[in-house]
Amino acid sequence: MFLDPNSKWAARLNPVLFLLPALSIYIIFAIYPTVSVVEYSFTDWDGISPERNYIGLENYRKMFSDKIFWEAFRNTFVWSGVILVINVGLGLVIAAMLARVWKARLLIQTCIVLPVVISPMAVATIWRWMYQPNGVINQLLEGIGLGALARPWLGDPNVVLYALAFAHSWSTIGLSVIIFLAGLQAVDEDLYEASKVDGATPLQQFRYVTMPALRPVTAVVFILTLTQSFKVFDIVWATTQGGPIRFSEILSTYMYKRGALENQYGYGSAIGVALLVIVSVATIIYLQIQNRKEQ
Amino acid sequence: MANRWVLLFVLGVIAVLMAAPLVLTLFTSLKPTTELVNPAWYPPIDLTFEHYIRVWTEGGFSRYFVNTLIISVVDAIVMILIASLAAYAMVFMQFPGKMLLQLLFVLGLMIPVTAVVLPLFQIVRSFGLLNTHLGVIFADLALAVSVFVFMFTSYFAGVPKALHEAARIDGATEFQIYRRVVMPIATPAVVTTALLEFLWSWNDLLLRLLLMTRDEMRTLSVGLLNFQGTMTRDVTGLSSGTVIMAIPVVLLFLVFQRSFVRGMTAGAVK
Repeated sequence: MFLDPNSKWAARLNPVLFLLPALSIYIIFAIYPTVSVVEYSFTDWDGISPERNYIGLENYRKMFSDKIFWEAFRNTFVWSGVILVINVGLGLVIAAMLARVWKARLLIQTCIVLPVVISPMAVATIWRWMYQPNGVINQLLEGIGLGALARPWLGDPNVVLYALAFAHSWSTIGLSVIIFLAGLQAVDEDLYEASKVDGATPLQQFRYVTMPALRPVTAVVFILTLTQSFKVFDIVWATTQGGPIRFSEILSTYMYKRGALENQYGYGSAIGVALLVIVSVATIIYLQIQNRKEQ
Repeated sequence: MANRWVLLFVLGVIAVLMAAPLVLTLFTSLKPTTELVNPAWYPPIDLTFEHYIRVWTEGGFSRYFVNTLIISVVDAIVMILIASLAAYAMVFMQFPGKMLLQLLFVLGLMIPVTAVVLPLFQIVRSFGLLNTHLGVIFADLALAVSVFVFMFTSYFAGVPKALHEAARIDGATEFQIYRRVVMPIATPAVVTTALLEFLWSWNDLLLRLLLMTRDEMRTLSVGLLNFQGTMTRDVTGLSSGTVIMAIPVVLLFLVFQRSFVRGMTAGAVK
């Protein structure tokens, strides 16, 4: 009877059996921690002792008056801004060029997309080495007579955040390029033909045909890049750990320091909640755009 | 015509610049120590694998490699199973609370790992799973399962309902239909899931840093981080370690480039 697929029992039991593995892991190791991080943020827990007291909004009050939090907050947005400009701006230009080329296209595309699969940890190691005072970047600058620009890239408070953002963009721009490329392939060829007949230059075509047609895809790349750059931890932690001093401190590294290293679990959780809110808002906007595109 | 060549030239320069960091790292890892005085863009003259051997044996990278491989392979296989089963239920079965469940899975797309690592650590510890492969695997699966449930859902939604109905009338159980009818059609989704989950698992640092504190349990990401902390000046060792970590995913990418690109764009372009 149990095996009879049309029995009432099977109809009730089957959804449970099919959903249980995914759902139980998901609830225990994703949903529960998400609820917990909110709960912890209302406590003074140190992460170890059995005792924890609810202290209301104290952690949030502390956070909003914490100068370092605001520095990390500001850095996170500067960081994301730099990455947005490179990944969306340059990403679109590269994709538009790539779409007009047939020779060697796969080879060029492979070079651009390959860094996407490299681990952020490996990216950090590579760029830390290249950014060294006697590293490749400075060697190159001296080689082409721009030695005056050479500097310890990750030790200079004024450039460290930009240098790291650049390294992150190197490893993620390939994703923007392939998304733009897919979008470009969907642009109506007739529009190009028509504009050519009207005597439009390639630049005018880009401005008046390509860009308007790509607006929805651009929105997708924009918000995708934004959400992903907010979440970054690995590459900053593995290079500067937020330093020198706090010039490359972003929200995730600050949270990790307070919560995991200094045992201020409650306070670290409050920073985690801030991160959660920012990323959620960005993701909801992303899903909205996606939905609209599908309709 | 001239325009095309300018375009190709510019793109060529960009491609070389993009590939350069990886190529230079490979060069350095193959250079004998005496050649390190040369500029980084000089190719190695006397190729040597001594740094690889050193990092692999003394550096402990063989153990890190095995740990990483175990976790990534299990992650990929189990992810295919649990995500496709759940998606099957969401598409082909009727049950109360379906909408609510869908919302719950959407929530998973929004949770950044970074924000929830502190309580996640406590939960893994309370199960006694710190410093075990299983602890990291559960965390990986939980934090990415939503993405793949939706990937399979959109794939299954394209399977003709009549096919499912016909199998039902023939007396097949749901599991038989899942295995014999639906999954064979969904091969591209299976491949994409395997590749992406393997990649994410292989590359992650934060979860492994937090959940693997004993040296013999470390993964490549944590091993490399540690190596970098203690052997700052060991340029050849660091570059060999980086190459060891990169080789499997680079090879996978080169072989399955199409699936990778499709998978990475799937969420973004519809």
